[in-house]
Amino acid sequence: MTSPLTQTVHWDLTYDVHLGSTWGRFMQGLREQKILANSCPECSRTFVPPQAYCEACFVRTQEWTELPAEGDLEVFTVVWQGFTGGPTPPYAVGGIRLAGADTLLMHVVTGLDFTDPATVREQLPHGSRVRAVWAAERTGQILDISHFEPAG
Amino acid sequence: MPTRARPGPVHVVGLSCTPLLPEQDAVLDELVFDAVSAALSECALRKADVGLSVLASMDVPDGRSISSGLTTAAAAGYLSDSYRLEADSGSAVAAAAQAVAAGDVEVAVAVGVHNPEHHATDDAGRRAFLEQLSNLAFEPAFDRPVGMTAQAVYGMQAAHAIRASGVTLQDLAELSAAAITRGAAGRRPGRRSPVTAAEVLASAPVAWPLLDLMFPAPLTGAAAVVLASPARAARLLGRSAVVTGTGQATGDHTWTGDWLTRPEATTARAAADAYRNAALTDPASSVDVVELSAPTPALHGPYLRALGLSGLPPARVSPSGGLAGGHAGLANGIVRLLEAVEWLETHEPRGRAVVHSVDTVTGTVSEEATVAVVEGV
Amino acid sequence: MAQRAAVVGVGITDATSPRKQTRSHVELCQDAVWAAVEHAGISPADLDAVVVGNIDGFEGTVLGGKHVTRLLGLGPHLPMVVLNTGGTTGGNLMQVAARMVRAGTHDRVLCLGGPTFFGVRDLQSAINTNSPMIVEQPLGMGGFHMGAFAASAYQARHGTTVQDLASVVVADHRKASANPHAHLRYTLTETEVVEGTPLSSPLTQPMVCPVSTSAAAMVVASEGVARSRTSPAALIRAMGTSSDPYLGGGKGDFAVMENLAALARRVYALADVRDPRSEFDVVEVFAPYVHMQPMQLEALGFCGPGEGIDLIRSGATDAGGDLPTNLSGGPKCTNAGVAGELAPYAYTALQVMGDAPESIQVPGARTGLAHGTGGSFFQFENLAVFSRLDPQEQS
Ligand SMILES: [Zn+2]
Repeated sequence: MTSPLTQTVHWDLTYDVHLGSTWGRFMQGLREQKILANSCPECSRTFVPPQAYCEACFVRTQEWTELPAEGDLEVFTVVWQGFTGGPTPPYAVGGIRLAGADTLLMHVVTGLDFTDPATVREQLPHGSRVRAVWAAERTGQILDISHFEPAG
Repeated sequence: MPTRARPGPVHVVGLSCTPLLPEQDAVLDELVFDAVSAALSECALRKADVGLSVLASMDVPDGRSISSGLTTAAAAGYLSDSYRLEADSGSAVAAAAQAVAAGDVEVAVAVGVHNPEHHATDDAGRRAFLEQLSNLAFEPAFDRPVGMTAQAVYGMQAAHAIRASGVTLQDLAELSAAAITRGAAGRRPGRRSPVTAAEVLASAPVAWPLLDLMFPAPLTGAAAVVLASPARAARLLGRSAVVTGTGQATGDHTWTGDWLTRPEATTARAAADAYRNAALTDPASSVDVVELSAPTPALHGPYLRALGLSGLPPARVSPSGGLAGGHAGLANGIVRLLEAVEWLETHEPRGRAVVHSVDTVTGTVSEEATVAVVEGV
Repeated sequence: MAQRAAVVGVGITDATSPRKQTRSHVELCQDAVWAAVEHAGISPADLDAVVVGNIDGFEGTVLGGKHVTRLLGLGPHLPMVVLNTGGTTGGNLMQVAARMVRAGTHDRVLCLGGPTFFGVRDLQSAINTNSPMIVEQPLGMGGFHMGAFAASAYQARHGTTVQDLASVVVADHRKASANPHAHLRYTLTETEVVEGTPLSSPLTQPMVCPVSTSAAAMVVASEGVARSRTSPAALIRAMGTSSDPYLGGGKGDFAVMENLAALARRVYALADVRDPRSEFDVVEVFAPYVHMQPMQLEALGFCGPGEGIDLIRSGATDAGGDLPTNLSGGPKCTNAGVAGELAPYAYTALQVMGDAPESIQVPGARTGLAHGTGGSFFQFENLAVFSRLDPQEQS
């Protein structure tokens, strides 16, 4: 088989992604080591990360609250093969239910021994308690929380 | 072609638009939510009443692949029927109208959003980014490497029109000046001050022979429309207009040259489709107003002819100023519909309007045109 | 005037890896389109419009579908609609085309899904751009990591083992080996699956779809057009889509496909399906990751929570079982992007028309269910119910 004729096509796009006031306020909170959530005035669900509107009731959210920086790990995966530009694997990403939140906050989870892939699930059972570890330098982005680690 | 029965009419019951600004400090979905929730409020409907949401947006300005993942819930699509077209919102209106005409839903929402994830301090910077995206939408082996962009296409088309049809740069400047001036007094001015033809001619060169004030100011925002079946609309407050027909057409590829020598052909096909669906046999004598989308003054005449509306008095051709003031990307189709319906409400409550929109992603190359016939009731 | 819509023509090309593919993107699309047009028994001049899908960022050209369509030899003036909803793009093409027909403004609309993943050098990094940036993507969460979340949650809920998951892969490969259009046509053992390269726990390489190249096309036409044919068509009896919010954290329970279950109830009601297990003769679901198929079978009402793998192991979903599912081998064995997403619809339509490849045709299939899913954390779902539409008696 002759090798196919191809041409290299490269995209070079740099974006300035608009945060808006809702996520802007959340990011400002992170700088101050606060995890801020907001709530729907109709169904009372509490969102973290906050949302500008409730997709179910289709109304603007109100009522900001600070949530504890500790919660239950409801789900996680260990990434053995990562992606270009991403963290170096292996690493674990999880969904954390902070007390009082109706959504999961996704974050990096530490405290796992990666030597044997077959044992990772048992190391952090469903509902394990984890707490946020703050980054020393905080610039108003999601990694102002460095990661979540097992609590207790 | 067998003779096809006309699709049933579809009522416009809610229409809304966010402020149109050079840049918005908002996430895309917040703009979508604002437009859709305001349009629903107009007719006192709630999310649960919406049978289908059709969104118009494009991944590259949105800065995310599958950007509809972010915006669908804001279009009232949470746990309900919805999809996203990468097309001008005029196409979204047509798709939403089809779902109502099909009897599949009683209420449908169409929404277009445009707020490129790019920060710039002036129009030139905003255009530079949109032009970069435009280049990426051109054919990759032949067109892209040689620098084809929407502005380049519009420049070539204008140059050709000047050489071939006898229109002069002065004529084009006068068209732009009149439209900008009209738009400056309108409800959604992209450019806030009246200008003279001399000022247009003195503005910065952009793509020869076209000058800065001959291109729309780049605007951002979201616009939404709520459509309903006649039966459902009868029980609703809100807007009183009917879409009696829509038509769509797509322009030809670069190498046939239609985009240069027959730029009106795509709009003409969309108009023929819309007029047939609306059973409109003599547009020249039965249309009161047209909201035209001419991205440059050199396309004003060709598009108007393609719609069969060259005879309309100038004051009834894009009374809003059309695109001369500004262009909100893919939100444009619904912005034009809003302007047309508002004009009918104010001037001819039982009148008939034609709404025309094109996408400007690759200029008149592969251009997508939509035409809708709208009547006051 | 409103009318019914049916699939009257389907074209699917053979699939292979990008490395072995000798046809270009455009050529593959041409092959699929001309096959669909021929199967429909029409000529390109009969078409009223094209609905084409693309996913920007995965392809070398923004709005790539627009370019391809003009190079297919269908004439320079066919109106085109470009659709992009990620993994549901393929199935939604048919939904948009069907609405155009059902509204009465169009009689024959072509749907085209090309080899979206053909050409991108680093597909994962392209897919990652749809992981929610700002709040989730910086955590190192990309394409299959989003998939792995549900697999992990499902395991935690039901005690599912990696061997259990592997059995689904084994079944998919067995089916794909019988489908001449499939990409991965080799069979595997459970051990080979379990011992595959770990990707994101609990998923190993064989549990995740391949990057394939192929194209698929369908012609959707009015009932009148469909009935005037000499062979059966696939009537679109019901269809729908449903969406979850954007962020992974807003999707409720990762161990249950609640969004799909809600959509299934809605679509079954439209089609008056009361007992899905006995009413469907054939099912094609979009399950690019191994855990998705059992979870989808549960959400679609074919078995109870946590029973999906047992259902697959029982042989019920094999050829000859009472619920033949993904006899094509599914996206687990062939996934070319939008073409792969259109495939469940294309194969299901072929099955009820009686025109599927002989080796995978379910004898006498009359009613079928097709499914699609995609978006960040598979937030989008779509479904359609097809029924065989026999030609009008010729007097
Ligand atoms: Zn709520």
